[in-house]
Amino acid sequence: MAEDEGRELGRPAWSATATSILNGCIGDYLTRRDNGLAIDMAFYGRGKPLPLTPDSLRAEWGPPTRKLCVLLHGLCCHEGVWNYPDDPTRTYGHALRDDLGYTPLFLRYNTGLPIPYNGKSLDTLLDELLLAYPEPVDEIILIGHSMGGLVIRGACHNGVDRDASWVRLVSKAFYLGTPHEGAVLEKVAQLMTSVLRAVPHPVTALVGDVAEQRSQGIKDLRDGTTVHADDFAGAVPWLASARHYLIAGTVTDDPEHLAARLFGDGLVHPPQAGDNVRLFPGVGHMDLAHDEAVYGQIRTWCASA
Amino acid sequence: MELETVRRIRGAKELVEEAVDAATFRIGEVQRVMTRKPYAVLAHVTPIAVPVRAIEEAHVHIVDGVYFAIRLGNRLAGLMAGHALDRLEAHARGKAAP
Repeated sequence: MAEDEGRELGRPAWSATATSILNGCIGDYLTRRDNGLAIDMAFYGRGKPLPLTPDSLRAEWGPPTRKLCVLLHGLCCHEGVWNYPDDPTRTYGHALRDDLGYTPLFLRYNTGLPIPYNGKSLDTLLDELLLAYPEPVDEIILIGHSMGGLVIRGACHNGVDRDASWVRLVSKAFYLGTPHEGAVLEKVAQLMTSVLRAVPHPVTALVGDVAEQRSQGIKDLRDGTTVHADDFAGAVPWLASARHYLIAGTVTDDPEHLAARLFGDGLVHPPQAGDNVRLFPGVGHMDLAHDEAVYGQIRTWCASA
Repeated sequence: MELETVRRIRGAKELVEEAVDAATFRIGEVQRVMTRKPYAVLAHVTPIAVPVRAIEEAHVHIVDGVYFAIRLGNRLAGLMAGHALDRLEAHARGKAAP
């Protein structure tokens, strides 16, 4: 009953949350084992995958607009991360639809899979979306929270590589708390795992081995990997035809506070200041996906030419 | 019950089964190493070396037996749960059929 109510409000059920967390932790293993808990990448609406047909897209959002907004969640999350806690019917996607006419599409994917793999899957899925979409599309904006931002960059790289039609429509990409330079937490986890495995004691080695079982998706966060090293050597370029906006938070209201300098938004350190970078002091990592001030900034940037 | 729900429950069952299997195997290995350590010290005392080795082997066999029993129970429980899920799935398919 409670699950149904949640679905009506647009908030996925608790079992979906548990499955997403599991996928984030060991999602690559689940996929390898063809386990029924592995999430297949798809656009979701009301807690269920949206079939990519004109009818289902119309049924979900009513009359389709020619501007799309694709939202990607981060590690161990699902599309419910975009719901405002105090108003689950509101998300950046819903707000952009009401304010600027973007049709929002919420992606759910297995965050335990390698980020380059998810990037390739998103590239393919966006192609399929354009084929199924009931209207010609004029513009696509991409909003990625945390790992979602890296998946966006991977998808754009693949799309450019094969000259995909959707890439030419991307005008803006927003990265909320995305670890482009790598996540310190995963670097620490890697160090701890190595130390535990190096200690010549069977119990610590066992603990190290268990920790090493974490998904490739988590491990890819260490360096902010977006493309497989075999496919592209060096720094992956940003999609040249789009504008890129970086949004970050800090754990304290004072961004110069030692805690903010050490922990950033709790998981990711803010990027260096720049024209397209906006810092929100006091907004934690998860809150970046559902904060009115952050939305205000996205809206302003979206409305700008 | 929906087919998708049955698929997920089956996934959870398989995951628990694989986790218990892998955990008992690795923990069993660690315990075997830990079990042998004090015996290795005692075995240096020549007069008691032979009985120590015999007791050590018996101890290790008991340890292995306990983990084997856990794995066996795990497999049996998995089999039974699998059969129950097959029936649920057949029921769900029957309901889903037009």
